[in-house]
Amino acid sequence: MHELSMAQAIVDTIMEAAEKNNAEEILEVTIEIGMLTMLNSEQLKFLLDVLTEGTLMEDAKIIIEDVPVEINCRKCQYTGLANTDGSDHYLAIVLCPKCGGRDVETLTGKECSVKNIKIEKSDDDA
Amino acid sequence: MMHKIADVEVQHDIMIANRKLARKNQRILDKDKVFSVDVVGAIGSGKTSLIEALIDAMNYKIGVIAGDVISKYDAGRFEKHNVPVVGLNTGKECHLDAHLVEHALHDMPLEEIDILFIENVGNLICPVDFDLGSHMRMVVISVTEGDDTVEKHPLIFQDSDLVVINKVDLASAVGADSDKMVNDVKQINPEVQVIKTSLKTGSGFDEVIKAIDRYMRDH
Repeated sequence: MHELSMAQAIVDTIMEAAEKNNAEEILEVTIEIGMLTMLNSEQLKFLLDVLTEGTLMEDAKIIIEDVPVEINCRKCQYTGLANTDGSDHYLAIVLCPKCGGRDVETLTGKECSVKNIKIEKSDDDA
Repeated sequence: MMHKIADVEVQHDIMIANRKLARKNQRILDKDKVFSVDVVGAIGSGKTSLIEALIDAMNYKIGVIAGDVISKYDAGRFEKHNVPVVGLNTGKECHLDAHLVEHALHDMPLEEIDILFIENVGNLICPVDFDLGSHMRMVVISVTEGDDTVEKHPLIFQDSDLVVINKVDLASAVGADSDKMVNDVKQINPEVQVIKTSLKTGSGFDEVIKAIDRYMRDH
């Protein structure tokens, strides 16, 4: 359960950006989580709520966007979404949906990224 | 006083921050020509025992970073083999990350060793996300965890260079099919070498030494 340390790193990143921009309140944050990371979005959301109690981010709306898995097949040069329809949860990751090859490079799906934040600030700072 | 709402682009990826630190760790290791092996695996699969056996059997100077929730137990075992050991307490954390390892590297006499084993916290899930900067990742599992353990934790096998399936002498006692485990790994990662071992009887152990040797030469 490393959602706690990731949540803390996310909060630190957001607070740093908010302070740099003289935020008085953080209204909304958008976080991208790759579908290949071992992170559970619901746990992450819960921990972000707990960690931000009493801070600028206390009432912020938290948006978590799942980043789908894109691969590049070294065998047939297919580039695009991995097939995630399979019932076998890993085959989609290691198999190219076009040629069935396993020699694939993962392009996206491993992100844990603070994309942007929406803040309220005093107009005087503009 | 007027207030206004502003959108701030942040675009900060925490995973990338870890990977950057991992690359820095590898540069530190390369500077002193130290080959590093990240040892991950299930709780009680025999990670510590395997590293202890490798310390005794390999003709290299070895150091160990012992990562655990409370590291003193494993660290104490390694110290008995007269090798440099740095214990890393992760506390509540379920995995090592590149930042923790960087601290441990400062305390390790790198110029005195050839191989550094980094024993991760017993866990097949969380370490997947965290590159430490090592040159090779070895996964250690055992038949006593059940022969479905590979299917249940595919990602760690996809990102590994060597897989050790330990305690095969106990397979029939616990009703586990070790060949199934090998096949499951091959399904996920056809390239990876899988070795069945019993540290109790010594079977397969020489192959592990050869595999690490080969990676050291080729890396």
